[in-house]
Amino acid sequence: MNQPGQQTANAGGSFIPAPRQDMEYICADCGAKNEIKSREPIRCRECGHRIMYKKRTKRMVQFEAR
Amino acid sequence: MPDGSQKLRRQPTFNTIQREESFRNPHKTGSTYPILNEFVTPHIESFNALFDDSGLPKGDGDGRGLLSLGLKDIGERVVFDGSGELGTESGQHGWGNRLSIWIEAVSIAPPRVPDRDTWSTERKIFPTEARERLTSYRGRMQAKVCWSINGNIHPDQFVMRDCGLVPIMVRSVRCNIRSLPSAELVRRHEEPEEFGGYFIINGNERLIRYLILPRRNHVTSLLRPSFANRGPSYTQYAVQIRCVRPDQTSITNTLHYLSNGSAMLRFSWRKQEYVIPIMLILKALIGASDREIFDNVMMQDYENTFLTDRVELLLRSFKMYSLYTGDQCLEYLGDKFRVVLGMPEDWTNQALGAWLIQKMVLVHLESARDKFRMLVFMLRKLYSVVSSSCCADNPDSPQHQEVLLPGYLYGMIIKERLEEALNQVRNQIATDVRKEEPPVDFLDKRYITKVINKVNWDIGSKMSNFLATGNLVSPSGLDLQQASGFTIVAEKLNWMRYISHFRCIHRGAFFAELKTTTVRKLLPEAWGFLCPVHTPDGAPCGLLNHLSRTCRIVTAPLSVAEIPALLAAHGMTQAFSSSIDGRKNLCVQLDGRVIGWARHPVAQQLATNLRIWKTEGRHKVPLDLEIGFVPESKGGQYPGLFLFSTRARMMRPVKFVVNGKDDQVGSFEQVYMNIAIKPDEVEPDVSTHVEHAPTNFLSILANLTPFSDFNQSPRNIYQCQMGKQTMGTPSTALQHRTDNKLYRLQTGQTPVVRPHLHNTYAMDSFPNGTNAIVAVISYTGYDMEDAMILNKSAHERGFGYGTVYKSQIIDLKEMRGAAKSSASPTLHFGLGHDIRTAEGDGQHTCCHFLDKDGLPFIGTKLDSGDPIAAYIDEITARTRFVKYKGDEQGIVHEVRMLGGDAGDTELQKLHVTFRITRSPVIGDKFSSRHGQKGVCSQKWPAVDMPFSESGMQPDVIINPHAFPSRMTIGMLVESMAGKAGAMHGLAQDATPFQFSEEDRAIDYFGEQLLAAGYNYYGNEPMYSGITGQEFAADIYIGVVYYQRLRHMVLDKFQVRTTGPVDPVTRQPVGGRKRAGGIRFGEMERDALIAHGTSFLLQDRLMNCSDYSTTWVCRTCGSLISLGYDDISLGESSTGTMKATGPGGEYCRVCRAVAEEDDERARQALATGQNPDRSLLPGVKVAIPSSNVLRSSSKGSDLDVVAVPYVFRYFCAELAAMGIAVSLEVQ
Repeated sequence: MNQPGQQTANAGGSFIPAPRQDMEYICADCGAKNEIKSREPIRCRECGHRIMYKKRTKRMVQFEAR
Repeated sequence: MPDGSQKLRRQPTFNTIQREESFRNPHKTGSTYPILNEFVTPHIESFNALFDDSGLPKGDGDGRGLLSLGLKDIGERVVFDGSGELGTESGQHGWGNRLSIWIEAVSIAPPRVPDRDTWSTERKIFPTEARERLTSYRGRMQAKVCWSINGNIHPDQFVMRDCGLVPIMVRSVRCNIRSLPSAELVRRHEEPEEFGGYFIINGNERLIRYLILPRRNHVTSLLRPSFANRGPSYTQYAVQIRCVRPDQTSITNTLHYLSNGSAMLRFSWRKQEYVIPIMLILKALIGASDREIFDNVMMQDYENTFLTDRVELLLRSFKMYSLYTGDQCLEYLGDKFRVVLGMPEDWTNQALGAWLIQKMVLVHLESARDKFRMLVFMLRKLYSVVSSSCCADNPDSPQHQEVLLPGYLYGMIIKERLEEALNQVRNQIATDVRKEEPPVDFLDKRYITKVINKVNWDIGSKMSNFLATGNLVSPSGLDLQQASGFTIVAEKLNWMRYISHFRCIHRGAFFAELKTTTVRKLLPEAWGFLCPVHTPDGAPCGLLNHLSRTCRIVTAPLSVAEIPALLAAHGMTQAFSSSIDGRKNLCVQLDGRVIGWARHPVAQQLATNLRIWKTEGRHKVPLDLEIGFVPESKGGQYPGLFLFSTRARMMRPVKFVVNGKDDQVGSFEQVYMNIAIKPDEVEPDVSTHVEHAPTNFLSILANLTPFSDFNQSPRNIYQCQMGKQTMGTPSTALQHRTDNKLYRLQTGQTPVVRPHLHNTYAMDSFPNGTNAIVAVISYTGYDMEDAMILNKSAHERGFGYGTVYKSQIIDLKEMRGAAKSSASPTLHFGLGHDIRTAEGDGQHTCCHFLDKDGLPFIGTKLDSGDPIAAYIDEITARTRFVKYKGDEQGIVHEVRMLGGDAGDTELQKLHVTFRITRSPVIGDKFSSRHGQKGVCSQKWPAVDMPFSESGMQPDVIINPHAFPSRMTIGMLVESMAGKAGAMHGLAQDATPFQFSEEDRAIDYFGEQLLAAGYNYYGNEPMYSGITGQEFAADIYIGVVYYQRLRHMVLDKFQVRTTGPVDPVTRQPVGGRKRAGGIRFGEMERDALIAHGTSFLLQDRLMNCSDYSTTWVCRTCGSLISLGYDDISLGESSTGTMKATGPGGEYCRVCRAVAEEDDERARQALATGQNPDRSLLPGVKVAIPSSNVLRSSSKGSDLDVVAVPYVFRYFCAELAAMGIAVSLEVQ
């Protein structure tokens, strides 16, 4: 389990936080790519902007063409 | 006109290249369509006027903003600490130290990132962030609160009090995108043509709608029968003036005529109405003697016995008050109003009286003498109305109206909230003084600071609330007739709808519920100011209007201080002159101030001179001055020369014929002017003005209807409605929009046939429809009753293809299980350990939709109920899902992760946009631009479509019956013009009023068609697509611009066989959302009864609704007394077997009665008494009556009947009220 970063207080104690996933998001203001782990503040590392867009998936998305 | 013989190099008329260039490279210095910034100026400049640095001209004032002026008007609040001893110097009544508090200044800053945020490189907040993060676009407001003790002002006796975040109007002087050029706007994720004028509240664009108000500072005479109900001796006559202070707040003064000849002045203070005899005010103002009042009202018209009688009565009736001097009157007023006003205790009655008059009577005038003159004028006008020498004014006419501008209303509310806060501070201190624990020390700065900070100064949230709800919370009512409905959402449905929001003007919510329709009437006075075409049909018809295209609203203060002197120099008698003959002189007023008198010809000459001066810019007469010269008439409007220079007036540009200069005309003066529509209509010595364009009286939308002068007028009204419901291009910054619902037409085109203004208003940047080949033919029978047939191939090529963008907001803070008021949240987006994410058979199904972070993949197709987000509950360690709500397939289009205000919070709020494809289907609504709407009834295969000689097939077939009764000739002309334009590559000009009987549109476009090789009149021989035979008649076929309306069957269809029922009545529920039924109402029932279709009636009202069977007791007829015995076990379990029906059912009422009877009979036998037992009717027996029992059934005689379930419920309800229902079963 790759589990870096600070851990917020959890109530039960028994709760094991989910593995932190690095995900890349795009800043809504400057367009910079940002790696934001879960439970990290939503903030652009480049400009400090407070909105992120999710990137389009690299998975194959296929619809039935009718 | 195109000419086939000549080979000319054609000039492009669609400006395609130019437009593409402006899209690729938006203007670096200005905007591409400057007119868009012009038409919102009243919104923006009225907001700018709040501030000292408004950028508006100074006019006569010192250029201070409305907020500063308002603070001056609020003044100071005074408290005493009660420490003084009786009769000492500090106060005669033991008041003690005198603390006065006032607000020195307020400031509103542009929206900025909070200081907690130390990461942002850009400290400004831009509107796009407010929209995308679903927050409000607000700036911090601060007030400087000062105080002084016993009049000693000390420089450090002040606090800067934070007043919260106040919503800022986009593109106003406090906005961060003010006056940015197009290129910069695009960089800020705005529309290149963004013009602002609205506020952003919780991500929604909201604007304050214009509201019609009575014209300020002008006396209008009213004749209202309801005035007579105000009290004894009140009559229907009154004159009214709405007086506006420099800070744009207003007070309405009404002068009522009493049947005894005197008059009462009415005003309201904190929603409470007060009436004062006019004589009291007249005396109090300048201490006028009876003689002075008599002379001023009579104005040497001594033969007028009507007037002399009234004035005599007026003077005599005041004798009973025994008030002779002005000071006595002030004293009297002050004494009566002391408690109400709540002014400092140490003020004398006289000072209070003076203050009352200053604040309540003719507040637009400063000096008492001016107020006196104006009141006398009002009195004269009142008597004149009563004596019928002039008529009452029409308050519904735009002549006596002006506009409540958004910024001014905003300023009024802020002023009132500040005043409230200041009052609260005063009251708090007064309470503390009274309680004396701890004793209050005024000299202690900390105490006063504490009190000021204790009081709620959060004006920002109050303003946000006002804008979000449109509800006005106000102790005074702000002199407005309504308390709600001030704001609307600026819906970006399409460009037409969006821009018309900024031009709409409402008459007032009060008038909407009025039963009379006079307020809705279209009056000739409205010409050029309110559009006669652009008003909705239905409930708000005539109340919700739109400004004409060229109508402006004056927002800049004018400088008119020198006009009285100028007029006096040209023959006007000064106002102070004592010997003016009221019969021969007309009153000259400037903004509700009597500035002099002039004889009729002189006044007329003055009006003419002023007009020449203002158009030529001489003598510093401003162009926006309104010169209302009302000539003398017999029983007409009260004459005079009324000049208006104030703001919020409607004005429009016309050409002054005399010198050919541009003139601005107001709605008051226009009534007495002769304005020709076209230059050739100018009549010498009659017409003074001529319109710049004959279409100027139409609103923007009405102007965009092609050839609207060929149509029957209601059709143009319908088009104005439908243009606003079209699925078009709402925005060019679609990816930055967060609207709940957006409609988008994928393949918008520029219309071939369009009016000249189409380009001016950037309509090509936001296309609204598609050019379609339309054949007018009755071909298939599927085009009856306004249905239209779509060519299936045209549909497959993308005709009218549209998309709907819907959004869903997921806020973990609002979810169940969210930690309330805790700093760290307990819900987090993501997939927990309980979800198997590894690929393979055991993978959780949500992994088809959700990424590792618990957010949906972009591009995933969703059905109703599919997960769109997953979150982990920290406490239970379970993963929960948010489901997709829509009931049709949607595609995840965009996922926005919204951070906190300061950028220091983790992800809690998500905004997901779904894309829903909406290809046209049968049942979708389409319309041409001529109020000709229709529903698609079939997609007809292309092979079966009729075709012309050149092999062309129509995209759309409509029925010829659509035309005769509706008379939309404009559509026929458009069809011809479009056909010719398409063949020649021309953008056809469809501006109305371009053709005439001599120069006919038919001929113009007929020639073009001829040149293109078509029939002159646009009809062609066509062939049946099915048989290939030529039709007997030639078919009218051409190119018409078609709009796809947003009303689509997919949003509307409602069908049900069985489904949810109401738990109480067991009838089907209503409403499409709940899969309910459609009400089969009374009138439908009547129809079935009339037709005698009883089985159908039974089916609809019973079998398909709440059919139920129930037991009914044959004996007592009760529905609700059913009981059951378990008879399966026989006698062994229950002991004695009682009488029941075959299923064990029995009537509890009847059984109880029977048992009681039995019991009584047993007792009677036991005691030997012989109860008087009457025999059952019809039963004759030979044994003693005591041996005869009653009916043998004992409550077991029940029957099953079918009744509606509600009926059973109804019987139960009645039983609860003690009413028994008895059914007779046959």
